[in-house]
Amino acid sequence: MFTVFRQSLARSRATVLGWGLSLALLSMYLMTFYDTLVEQQAGLQQLLAGYPPELMSFFGSGTEMFTPQGYLTLEFFSYMPLVLGIYAVLAGSGLLASDEENGTLDLVLAHPISRSRLFLGRFLAFLWDVFVILAISWVGFVIGMRWTHMELSWGELAIPFIPLAAVLLLFGSLALLGSMLLPARRLAAMLAGLVVVGSFFVTSLARVDENLEAVARFSPLNYYQSGDAVLGLNWGWLLGLIGVSALLALLAWWLFERRDIRVGGEGNWRVPMLWKKPAPAEK
Amino acid sequence: MDETVVILAQGLTKSYGRVRALRGVDLEVHRGEIFGFLGPNGAGKTTTIRCLLDVIRPDGGHARVLGLDPQVDPVAVRARVGYLPGELRLDDSYTVEGQLRFLNHLRSGKADWEFVRQLSRRLDLELKTPIKNLSKGNKQKVGVLQALMHRPELLLLDEPTFGLDPLMQQEVLGLLSEMQAAGTTVFFSSHILSEVQEVAGRVGIIRMGKLVEVADVAALISRSLRRARVRFKEQVDARELERVPGVRLLSADKLSALLEVEGEMNGLVKALAAFPIRDLDTERPSLEEIFLAYYAVDGKEGE
Repeated sequence: MFTVFRQSLARSRATVLGWGLSLALLSMYLMTFYDTLVEQQAGLQQLLAGYPPELMSFFGSGTEMFTPQGYLTLEFFSYMPLVLGIYAVLAGSGLLASDEENGTLDLVLAHPISRSRLFLGRFLAFLWDVFVILAISWVGFVIGMRWTHMELSWGELAIPFIPLAAVLLLFGSLALLGSMLLPARRLAAMLAGLVVVGSFFVTSLARVDENLEAVARFSPLNYYQSGDAVLGLNWGWLLGLIGVSALLALLAWWLFERRDIRVGGEGNWRVPMLWKKPAPAEK
Repeated sequence: MDETVVILAQGLTKSYGRVRALRGVDLEVHRGEIFGFLGPNGAGKTTTIRCLLDVIRPDGGHARVLGLDPQVDPVAVRARVGYLPGELRLDDSYTVEGQLRFLNHLRSGKADWEFVRQLSRRLDLELKTPIKNLSKGNKQKVGVLQALMHRPELLLLDEPTFGLDPLMQQEVLGLLSEMQAAGTTVFFSSHILSEVQEVAGRVGIIRMGKLVEVADVAALISRSLRRARVRFKEQVDARELERVPGVRLLSADKLSALLEVEGEMNGLVKALAAFPIRDLDTERPSLEEIFLAYYAVDGKEGE
């Protein structure tokens, strides 16, 4: 299992560093504006008062943007599930299916490693990658905080990353399950991506339209705490997200244990042709 | 189960949607033999091999490999088997050595690295080369090497010489013979009949998901039809030879005859004693001709 774990980490190293360092730079950049924002609070509040409340609600608690948790929510944590959700969906859907589709899984599974161990090795590598990306981003915030007067400890700054990790785990597990159920990785990624985007918009719009509240209850991001987690974790939501993720991952494992492994290129999904290609002219 | 039986399949069936890939394959491969598994593309060779490794699950029937059920104890089976997939895909991010070391780690480092170097020299394969820079043939060499490197009890090879040049094909066939001499059982699929004829002791012929023949290569060839061309010193009526049981006259003129003989040649030789013979040539059919005979049903090739 550790061979598979190490191999998966080696393969994703560049991607993880790319995401982590980009987000760390973004974090540092965002932190430089916090003091300026607080200094101009009075003028900005007057400006924001003119904005439609629906618009402000869409991005969370707009009036609290001058508090550390409000600022972190608005500038980073509100949209990170969408941005990093794409990463989680691509990583989750490709965890096993990309090797299956390119044909390398056939050879690996002909070696003395059980499917369960292979699954676990890959899944742990995914968790580790998410952890590393978020940890590098957190380091970016910690460095950026030195240039501001934001009064948060390093530990408090780390707390909002926990619910973010939980939703990424959920999106990744959903994409992984999709890749076990559907005939192609890209189809699984596309459908899980739709869930990510749909969840983001449904949850955001439900803040301004109470008719959507019933639908939003089914949205994973309805249970995502964002920057407000600085004030304390909502354990119910957090454990709920982790529980659903575990369930999705267990289902994916169960399916992986039972399915036939395809050889490269076999059974790929294609966009169905809406029209028939004309038959080649007979010579 | 008889300990001399290394592979046992009984009534294996497998379908992919509407396509019935295996329709009840019964197979026995004995310890220490080289068994050639013949069939054209799509006949069910790869499906059979993948069922034996539990990479895919049969719909019906059962299999035993080295006395173990691959579905119950796949890890134990794979630990003792070397496998070369028909559709070999390697990880392009590795060098040859990196790929081999990764696969060896999956076997808990069972391979003898001196043996790996020896094999790589024989296969003319540079271990430091990145996989992505390898030609199709060189990738196939990596596939052969990884299957052999831990000296398995059983080799399951799906088209082992595919993509190799003739010299390297001979080298690989030589390696298989050496592995057999060292006690390894070799089960390999192919549609190159000359190579099967060269190294295999027995062959199984699979057609449309069913094993239609299992026989010793030598027996298969000797019991089949052969041709005899007879040249006479003077004009004769060769039609008399058709009275010999098992002999058919294909063509004749006054000084020669072309005959087809089924089974023993004894009757024909005795009959020819009465004729003024100048010379006699007999041709055994190649395995290829026998194989094609199994597929030439109603004027059509199988699948």
